[in-house]
Amino acid sequence: MLVGGAQPTAGRPGAERTGRTKTPWRAQGASAGTGSPRAFGAQRAERLAPYVLVAPAVLVVATLRLWPLLLGVNYSFTGDGARDGTSVGLDNYAELVDDPLFRTALGNVGLLVLLLPVAVAIPGMLATFLFLRVPGHRLFRSVYFFPAVLSPVIVGAIFNLLLAYDGPLNSLLEKAGIGAVDWLGDPDVTMFTVVGVHIWATFGMALVVFLAGFSTLDTTLLDAARVDGASLARVIRHVIVPGLSRTIQFVFVTTMIGMLTSMFGLLYVMTSGGPEGSTYLPEYYIWIQQGQLNRPALASAASTVLFLIMLVVGLVQIGLLRRAGREH
Amino acid sequence: MRVPRRRRWAVAVPMAALALATVYPLVFTANVAMKSRRDYILDRFSPADSLRWDNIATAWTSVGLGRYFVNSVIVVASAVALLLLIGSMAGFALSHLRFRGSRALFLCFLAALFVPFQVVMVPLAQVMADTGLIDTYPGLVLAYVAQFLPFSIFLMTSYYSGIPREIVDAARVDGNTLYGVYRRIMLPIGRPALLSVGILNALFCWNDVLISLLMMPSAEHRTLMVGVTSLRGQYSDDIPTFAAGVLIAALPVLVIYLFFQRQIADGITAGATKG
Repeated sequence: MLVGGAQPTAGRPGAERTGRTKTPWRAQGASAGTGSPRAFGAQRAERLAPYVLVAPAVLVVATLRLWPLLLGVNYSFTGDGARDGTSVGLDNYAELVDDPLFRTALGNVGLLVLLLPVAVAIPGMLATFLFLRVPGHRLFRSVYFFPAVLSPVIVGAIFNLLLAYDGPLNSLLEKAGIGAVDWLGDPDVTMFTVVGVHIWATFGMALVVFLAGFSTLDTTLLDAARVDGASLARVIRHVIVPGLSRTIQFVFVTTMIGMLTSMFGLLYVMTSGGPEGSTYLPEYYIWIQQGQLNRPALASAASTVLFLIMLVVGLVQIGLLRRAGREH
Repeated sequence: MRVPRRRRWAVAVPMAALALATVYPLVFTANVAMKSRRDYILDRFSPADSLRWDNIATAWTSVGLGRYFVNSVIVVASAVALLLLIGSMAGFALSHLRFRGSRALFLCFLAALFVPFQVVMVPLAQVMADTGLIDTYPGLVLAYVAQFLPFSIFLMTSYYSGIPREIVDAARVDGNTLYGVYRRIMLPIGRPALLSVGILNALFCWNDVLISLLMMPSAEHRTLMVGVTSLRGQYSDDIPTFAAGVLIAALPVLVIYLFFQRQIADGITAGATKG
């Protein structure tokens, strides 16, 4: 106990239960003014306590999150290999722009943005039905949420099995007369396959967030709408969507962040960026440049670009929140 | 408000189909893990004729997943313990103790929440290499703590903010120092949030592959998820053993999910409703 000397009862667990009267803390602080050095130390310890309590957190976040962030931006303006440590201006960024793999990665980010409404609408619709107590809603909720807690590695491995060219899904499709699809080998198909698997794995997350939003919804409005005989579609449009605008925005942003930063596991296990580099995303590009090709400075430049993309996502979110705040 | 009776079933049937589509890949994998190679090649879909554990045993011992499993448990347990300790200390200070810069500090942590790992991974690997922490368990644990601490602080702060000031004041009147208040009041009172934060962090760390790949280059230090990814090339012609490895990695998550589904959902939605 740091200050046990000044407060004899403080260090003894269970002292509260003995029922003896205690000197109030403030009164003790006042009596510390009599000049006892230990009491003075105790007072100082109390004053410093908040800083001591946050110190480990500050240390970890500052040295291992914020400092590397600055370091990374700095790296991105230096060279790799022979030019290690020397300033190269914007060379790395120029190289990124010229690299077809990085351009593919950015193009795929665009594709993710286009698919974002789908990834939000699916859990939104499902949450609506669960909220309206479709038969079995409790069970559905548990089942839908489960893949969201599985590692992308496990999900990717499972779908590798299912979607292999000679795998079970294709054998079913062939039996049904549709013919096999090269889910993981056709450059025009594979990115959609991976995004589809990602949505399969994560829609439960958004679903749970939607359901939490629903629980804050004003049910009198819903009842009024029902009494008026409004159709389900109208209720969704005029009651549910406006009532959940904050939740919907939150899901949009978290889903986008999830797509930008948590598909590495799937890409690593399912495609390794292929076929023909068609499934690169910035995060995978960073990993390849850093981990495989030993180009940390180039990887840092790609990191900085990814950070800027995230920043834009964040700023758009704040902008939307502000506007929504004015409307209400 | 409910869906009209007639239409309720029209909705429930496709939703049940979707639920099946959600569960089936997992059931399929578990089933394959119980089959022999021969049975799998003959018929992929038929239910395994008996519960054969030899694939699991092979994956656990000769493939080496048992060792990776232990690695993962050690790393995850250490990281979660540190995250709970550091996160709850900071959460208490930021929610109940006014000190100079506390507001700015909270905003800093919040900002750190939006810095994804991919953005800091290159310089972080450099820092870890410079300090000799790369390829060591403490290094990986620290990397996890750094990655998930902002989230833990955020959840603990928002939980503790809901605890009335009077409780803290009363404890101090009773003669507790601030450290005493933390240890005897805030830790026990924060149990529901600590449980949520602990389980979520355990899942995050257990499921991670990128941080582990980056921090632990040597094979004997692999965590379980990296071990599973390495199966892909080695066992591409032995699907049942591969499936058994996947099953080993998924089972702990399934068990945690069955017991703590509510806490997991609470932790995820806390950010949505308070953020």
